[in-house]
Amino acid sequence: MKFIHAADLHLDSPFLGLTTLPAALLTRVRQSTFTAATKIFDRAIAEHVDFVLLAGDLFDRAEQSVAAQAYLFNQFERLRQAGIPVFVSFGNHDYATDQHQTIAYPDNVQVFGADVTTKTLTLASGETVAVSGFSYPQRWVVTDPLPAFPEHAAADWHVGLLHGAVATGGTHDHYAPFTVAEMLTKRYDYWALGHIHQRQLLHQNPPILYAGNPQGRSSQETGERGAYLVTSHGRQLVPEFFPTADLLWDTATVPLTVTTLADLGTALTEWLTAHPADQSTLTQLTGKLTHPFTPEDQAAWRTTDWLSLYQRTHRSTLATAQRYLTRLTLRLPQATVAAPALDQRYWDQGAAQTFTPATVQTLFGKLAQEPALADWLATEGTPEKLRALATEQLQDLMNQEAPDVP
Amino acid sequence: MYLKTLTLFGFGQFHDRTFNLERGLNVLVGPNEAGKSTLTQFITAILFGFPTKKHPELRYEPLDGSRFGGAITFVQDATQYQVTRVDGPRGGTVTLRNLTLDLELPASQLAKLLAPVDAQLFQNVYALNEMRLGQVFQASKQDLTTHLQHVGAVGSDDWLVQAKRLDQRAEEAYKPQGRKPLLNDLLRQHQDLQAKLDKANTAYQTYWQLLQDQATAKHRQAALREQLATHRQTVTHWTQLQQQWPTFQRWQALGTAQQQPTTGFTQADATELERLQNQLTASQATAKTNQSRLKDLQAHAQLPALFQQYLKVSEQVDPLFDQVPAVTAQAQERTRLMATVQELTQRSTAIEQQVANANGQMPRPFSLATTQELKQQQADLQLANQKRRRLQQELNRLNDQYQQAQPTRQQRNPLADKQLGWLAAGLLVLVGAMFLPGTLFKLVGAALGIAVGYYGVFIVDGETPASRELQGLTADIRDVQAQLREGGQRIDALTNRIDAIGEAHGLDHLPHEQWFGAQAAIGEWERLTQQLQATHTQLTALQATLDQFQQAVTAVLPQLAGQSVTSQTTQLRQLQTTQQRLVAQNGELAGLTDRIQQDHTAVARAQQAVRTFLQTRNVADTAAFYQRYQQIQNQDNVTAQRQALATQLGTTLADLQALPDQATLDQHVTTAQQAQQTTQQQLDATTTQLATLSGQLEHLTASGTQTALRQRLANLETQMRTVTQGWLTDRLTSRWISATLVAASGDRLPRIVDQASEYYAQLTENRYTKLELTSETLRVQRADGTWLPVGQLSRGTAEQLDLAMKLAFAVVMQAQAAMPLVIDDGLVNFDARRRQAAYALLLTLSQHLQIILLTADPVAAQAAAGKYVVRLTTQEGD
Repeated sequence: MKFIHAADLHLDSPFLGLTTLPAALLTRVRQSTFTAATKIFDRAIAEHVDFVLLAGDLFDRAEQSVAAQAYLFNQFERLRQAGIPVFVSFGNHDYATDQHQTIAYPDNVQVFGADVTTKTLTLASGETVAVSGFSYPQRWVVTDPLPAFPEHAAADWHVGLLHGAVATGGTHDHYAPFTVAEMLTKRYDYWALGHIHQRQLLHQNPPILYAGNPQGRSSQETGERGAYLVTSHGRQLVPEFFPTADLLWDTATVPLTVTTLADLGTALTEWLTAHPADQSTLTQLTGKLTHPFTPEDQAAWRTTDWLSLYQRTHRSTLATAQRYLTRLTLRLPQATVAAPALDQRYWDQGAAQTFTPATVQTLFGKLAQEPALADWLATEGTPEKLRALATEQLQDLMNQEAPDVP
Repeated sequence: MYLKTLTLFGFGQFHDRTFNLERGLNVLVGPNEAGKSTLTQFITAILFGFPTKKHPELRYEPLDGSRFGGAITFVQDATQYQVTRVDGPRGGTVTLRNLTLDLELPASQLAKLLAPVDAQLFQNVYALNEMRLGQVFQASKQDLTTHLQHVGAVGSDDWLVQAKRLDQRAEEAYKPQGRKPLLNDLLRQHQDLQAKLDKANTAYQTYWQLLQDQATAKHRQAALREQLATHRQTVTHWTQLQQQWPTFQRWQALGTAQQQPTTGFTQADATELERLQNQLTASQATAKTNQSRLKDLQAHAQLPALFQQYLKVSEQVDPLFDQVPAVTAQAQERTRLMATVQELTQRSTAIEQQVANANGQMPRPFSLATTQELKQQQADLQLANQKRRRLQQELNRLNDQYQQAQPTRQQRNPLADKQLGWLAAGLLVLVGAMFLPGTLFKLVGAALGIAVGYYGVFIVDGETPASRELQGLTADIRDVQAQLREGGQRIDALTNRIDAIGEAHGLDHLPHEQWFGAQAAIGEWERLTQQLQATHTQLTALQATLDQFQQAVTAVLPQLAGQSVTSQTTQLRQLQTTQQRLVAQNGELAGLTDRIQQDHTAVARAQQAVRTFLQTRNVADTAAFYQRYQQIQNQDNVTAQRQALATQLGTTLADLQALPDQATLDQHVTTAQQAQQTTQQQLDATTTQLATLSGQLEHLTASGTQTALRQRLANLETQMRTVTQGWLTDRLTSRWISATLVAASGDRLPRIVDQASEYYAQLTENRYTKLELTSETLRVQRADGTWLPVGQLSRGTAEQLDLAMKLAFAVVMQAQAAMPLVIDDGLVNFDARRRQAAYALLLTLSQHLQIILLTADPVAAQAAAGKYVVRLTTQEGD
């Protein structure tokens, strides 16, 4: 028996954390979720797998993407022609609504409903496979779905399909919270999980694992991305990872001893030459400066888009290294804030007053009405993170020449 | 820091006026309009800048037109500075000098020297007047804190500037109410983009709708296809029927012919009839032939006239018939003999012409003896001739010799002549010998000739010398000549003899040589003559026989008279043939009559057979039979044809039979075709619709608008977040700086409050003992322990509180900001006692601070006894 376990295709979802991209790269970015998914389906056809499991978040319902839907129809049809059944459970992003149920996917596609059901399949080899799963009826599923999963069926193989997160016991368990222990009691041969974009093995035997997403979409989703080809070895199912990402994400920290922008360019080129990527990689760099820039270059750094200029003038270097720099952040060595005649305790007191959720909220005001910014505030705009940023800011200020007081 | 001198170039009512000030308390006493407020304003303006021209009442520009501005000398950290400010842009033109070092300093240094005190702080804290003291009612912790921050920490100004910059930058990034700042702009862009995306997202609904339509259309297409297939079948069925209708019609037409049950009209029957007919015809033909033959025979019975005549004399003619062959033979023999005669005659004539002499007489033949004799003589002659020729030659030779030998005739040799003569003689002999008959003679003659010659040549020659030779020769010549003559005589004799023989035999007209040849011709001629004789005899005999026959024929058949024998025999033979035929004919006729009889019987029998045949089939005649036969044949054909048609029609036959008529069929076809057409049209429409849908779907799918917009939106949001982060960081950093400065100055506040409490108690003669700074405002505790909010204090008491606070602030913050305290008529609302108390307090504080008290109260001067007192008069300002 052989099948493919993939999840979180997030078709036609945009890349996050980018501001500008060259047109060619932009086109590739736009296509990358499709490209990656196509690699999965190509592999399925090439390997003549018995079926394909898609563990949720195939697309983002909120995105209302025509391209994603059309793509799925096409690919499912491709698999149908290859005689490969597909099992789909929808997750928190593509949660099932009865909005468009009138248009069914090709008949090789079996979509799980809101309740846990078990679908069985008889393979060409005569083996029988039971697949149990369910789809999110709405964005959140707060209850543990596992009690609804049946015990190992009479079939030769039993596979669980689940989109969710391991229960933390906190208030944020919105995504079908489960525990591995519960899963093991079901005595399934394989648990195909989705939702977490970083692939990970929760249990070795039987395999309980997240396939991860086939294409990273932000600087947080670095490294190889792909899906699993699962093959039976005797009575055991062995997952084998295969990469699919068209574009990789990478973050790196570059130690910099430079004090001028010209030297920064040289250092960056050196780093790029020394660290070529295996495939096209969107790279987010942090430069760790040992000394501050000269005042002129500091000003130039602040006022110009130096990185864009660098990328435009170092195309071949970047092309050779297969890297595109999405961001370059410069950091000075960490030091305590030591303003003249101001004691650290005063800064701490001031910080304690300033970096409170209430203060931040008040300050943020009606920007919170903007969902994108509200999200940002919730994730990136925590007081701690903001304090860190402000600290950098202060350091930066202290490193500047004392301003001329008029 | 303290002010040392105030030099007014031109300010308000003052011009070119200098005030010297002391370190401690300075009291400037003057009535109203003496210039007290002007001085206060002067200090502020020179140190911190002239107010803008928007507020001319605050500028105190000189009324008399003297130079606007002035100078202040102040001492800070034991260094004396002079600041001069005259009218100029941006608060006036400043000149700063370090008087201690006599050093020109940059104007910008002034603010640093005065820091952290600025115009605002100076006015709010250090420059007191009645009006400002009244502001205590608005005093709040925040104000105080702000003031405190200002002076709270050394270098805090830098931070404040930074905080201000951050705030400015933050405002450039975002203002809640603004439009221009970056984030506001981005938010607007975001809104637009979101609107666009929402618009693009409507495509999603459209997409699903299209998918729905597509599914429906596909379903319909399939149904229609199926339907169309059915329709096609129907149409094909009906069209097929329509096509087969003519066939069906033919089949139908064939079906209407009556099937007659008949026997005896089969192919075999027809053959039988044919045979019978043939038989009849044959019989009839035979009969006919025999009849005609009979007629023929009868016709032949008419005989020629000659035969008629013959019949009369047949007895006499019959024996002639027997002779005919012999006569014929004889006639032929005669012809042959006549030919022979002719031939023989010819031959003999030929010989005669050849051999006969002139008068036509044939020579006689030689007898054997004659022949031999002749032959002998001829041989002799020959020999003689030969001899003579030899002799002649001998003679000639001898003559030649002689000629040669003879000297005269010199050249002439007589010997040679002699020899020549011998030779000629020899030759003659030789030649003459040749003419001699018989070989022996010839040989002898020849030998003689030779001998003569020899003699002439050798013997004669043998005579020696020439005369002898000549003599010899001459003898030889004579000898030879004699011989010659002798030889000639002999030859003549011989010739005569021969001629005699020829004459005797009549051969004289012929040369001797032909005589022997003529002998044979003569013999032949004689033989021919004999033969001719014999043949004539035969011929004559034959002619006689024939003549006899002819006579006999002519006698019986006069008609044949004058005709040749051949003709007669021919006619006779014809007669004979005719006669013999007649005999044979009689027998044949009889047979023929029999046969004709038989023929008639056969014909009758055949006719009977045919009749019987026809009768059994109940037909009148053969034609009728054949008609019937044909009919039946046709019928069979029809049946076969019908069967073939039925086979051709196959299963459709039943369907066709079910149809009433062609019109119905046509109706069916039309209906079916219409149905098919309608379905086809529907299908076409559906297919077109599907194509359109497919195109629309493809367009929707391929447009990429959504994706592009989404990515743009995501990018924009990233940018927004970046900007927001920057903005928020700036704002928070600014706040943090403020909060830190507050914290840093925060521990001074209690000291200020404590100090202020002390001063306030002094000022109120211990009526109020304690001050407390709440988060909102200040409150005071009366001596009886009652807490009163500032708002409940009387005006004077409130002013005293403010004074106490400001004095406390100035004292506590002296380390950071040692600024002179300028009190301009600030104590007017104080009662006398409290004013005294205030003066006392000021006097005390002046030990640490420079206090410039400007007042209209003369008591103040008393209170400040021993201190620097300037009396200002109204006149002085003029």
